[in-house]
Amino acid sequence: MIKIFEIREAFKQALDSIKVNRMRSFLASLGVVIGISFVLLMGWVLSGLDKAMSDSFKMMGVDVMYVDKHDWSGGKSWNEVRNRPNITLQQANKLIESLQSVELAVPVARRWQAEIKYGPNKYQGITAQGTYYQFGYTPGGSIEFGRFFSENEDQYSSNVVCLGWKVYETMFPKGDAIGKTIKIEGHNFLVIGVLKKQGTTFFDFIDNIVYMPLSTFLKTFGKFRRTFSIAVKAGSEENLDNARAEVEGKMRIIRNLQPGEENDFSINESKAFEDQVKIIRTVVWSVGIGMTLLSFVVGIIGIINVMFVSIFERTREIGIRKALGAKKRTILLQIVFEAMLLSLLGAIISFFFTSFIAYITGTIIIEYVPQVEFLSPFMPYDLLIIASIISIFVGIFAGLVPAIRASNFDPVIALRYE
Amino acid sequence: MDNNILIKTEGLSKIYQMESAQVIALKDINLEIKHNEYVAIMGPSGSGKTTLMSILGCLDTPSSGSFYLDGVDVSSLDDNQLAEIRNKKIGFVFQTFNLLPRANCIKNVELPLIYSGVAKEERYGKAVKALEDVGLGDRMTHKPTELSGGQRQRVAVARALVNNPSLIFADEPTGNLDTKTGEEIMKLFAELWKKGNSIILVTHEEDIARHAHRIIKLRDGVVIDDFRNPNPVIA
Ligand SMILES: Nc1ncnc2c1ncn2[C@@H]1O[C@H](COP(=O)(O)OP(=O)(O)O)[C@@H](O)[C@H]1O
Ligand SMILES: [Mg+2]
Repeated sequence: MIKIFEIREAFKQALDSIKVNRMRSFLASLGVVIGISFVLLMGWVLSGLDKAMSDSFKMMGVDVMYVDKHDWSGGKSWNEVRNRPNITLQQANKLIESLQSVELAVPVARRWQAEIKYGPNKYQGITAQGTYYQFGYTPGGSIEFGRFFSENEDQYSSNVVCLGWKVYETMFPKGDAIGKTIKIEGHNFLVIGVLKKQGTTFFDFIDNIVYMPLSTFLKTFGKFRRTFSIAVKAGSEENLDNARAEVEGKMRIIRNLQPGEENDFSINESKAFEDQVKIIRTVVWSVGIGMTLLSFVVGIIGIINVMFVSIFERTREIGIRKALGAKKRTILLQIVFEAMLLSLLGAIISFFFTSFIAYITGTIIIEYVPQVEFLSPFMPYDLLIIASIISIFVGIFAGLVPAIRASNFDPVIALRYE
Repeated sequence: MDNNILIKTEGLSKIYQMESAQVIALKDINLEIKHNEYVAIMGPSGSGKTTLMSILGCLDTPSSGSFYLDGVDVSSLDDNQLAEIRNKKIGFVFQTFNLLPRANCIKNVELPLIYSGVAKEERYGKAVKALEDVGLGDRMTHKPTELSGGQRQRVAVARALVNNPSLIFADEPTGNLDTKTGEEIMKLFAELWKKGNSIILVTHEEDIARHAHRIIKLRDGVVIDDFRNPNPVIA
């Protein structure tokens, strides 16, 4: 039977042997460093992505949905969506009036790909939205500077506008937006407010937006052949199902749908983005897993290789140990522990290495590539634990064959002199 | 069987099977060595001295014949039991010292104790004592590379006796040392013998063999002479 002291001593001998061969130990763990670094970087990117996504949802309001002719999740065919009848302002207002279980509902009209000018600066591809002043009470309408437009401005079709964060940042890098007059599609607008930043990284298109009173919007861009969407705030996440059911039922009546007929509108929730994110996740995962597996194969081969070199280099030492009473299993344990420690060392090195990358990314690279803002400047600690566990198994696996080989070395070696 | 008999071999042979030929390293060796004997195994290079020692020291197994150590049939033992015998009953001193180059003296001497599971403090105490006994009390934390040949061999002797084995094998222990240093090592063996240990010394040098009380001569794997040394050199 193997005894505790044997395990402990084998471990100590392994540790000693790693300490006295620093360079070799470092080289041996290099493959694992690469492998574990991939795992860590992948986990880092994914956790950043998850956080960016949930942050964006929170900012837009997890209890908000949009009734729209279009389907945001991309789950419907383009043809089917295009052939749906527009949602008219009358229909929108009818729905808004009839809803009972929701906190707030406002119509929204959109103009895609609008162009903004301020002095010589041009900014294209923004979404101009017209809505009611109540939109300012939703998370999507919360203000960073200035104010949202008022009921009065809504009534009198004032040419006032609130800028989304990205529009503001791009057009007014000096930060002096309020009170300036900009041109939207050639029409003058007074900037009265800047909205809070909502989207992070992949979701920053949300901030590529301007809001104006709905009446102003219709006056400026025309009211005919236009489809409206209705922003509905359920009031709480728990009420979401309830609200959705009511919205769907009432909307079907308004749209004159017969039982069994399919909806000719979509109820879009901020969660619809999840599908988009899932695609990104899948891409990151499949690239990451592929790279990781590959580098682990390299890492394992690296350790096996170095362990083989190392045991043959120490043939005599191992022979001496056996001559002095080391059993097969003693040597086996020592070598397996060595490989395990080397691999663990690799994991620790990669944790520092990737932490460094994360820190550099979060502090320096972000200055030049702002898109990396979704990445945390710190490596999550739970990833260290995962990496360590993986590396321990990798080490044991890689050490096994060389260890068995070494444990079978003949103690007679100790007596042979070259 | 006589209780006083430490080693007994019957028809012991060792054949090394090479690719093309076979080497008969030992042929029909019949020996009896008692407790507390001081034996020198002599013979020219290639005569089978090291091979004999490796079998008697439980490092290797014979091709045929039998070998009893302390009345135990060694061929019936498995690897682990052989390792335990080497660890507890036998101490080895090698021509090239065979110290672990990167470990200091204490760690080298502690090695047999580690493998027999002696607790840390006791182990350290015994290693210190063994090093003091060979006159290296002031070199404990030195590494072998920082020591002279004679000092290294003393460390090896300390390591061989630290676990209180009854049988000490030395294969050409002075082969890599100058005459004077060699004599000092021989003195250590004489002391060990006086304390009741059995010593089997392998050498091809007459001067060294003369310290032993019995001399066994080998040639081409055969015992050609086995006689009592009437007046061993007192080191
Ligand atoms: N591992 C081995 N494989 C093949 N031949 C060996 C081996 N070890 C020793 N021999 C041969 O056995 C004979 C005895 O060797 P050895 O016991 O080392 O002699 P000595 O120690 O007296 O010089 C020699 O001919 C040697 O070449
Ligand atoms: Mg020899």
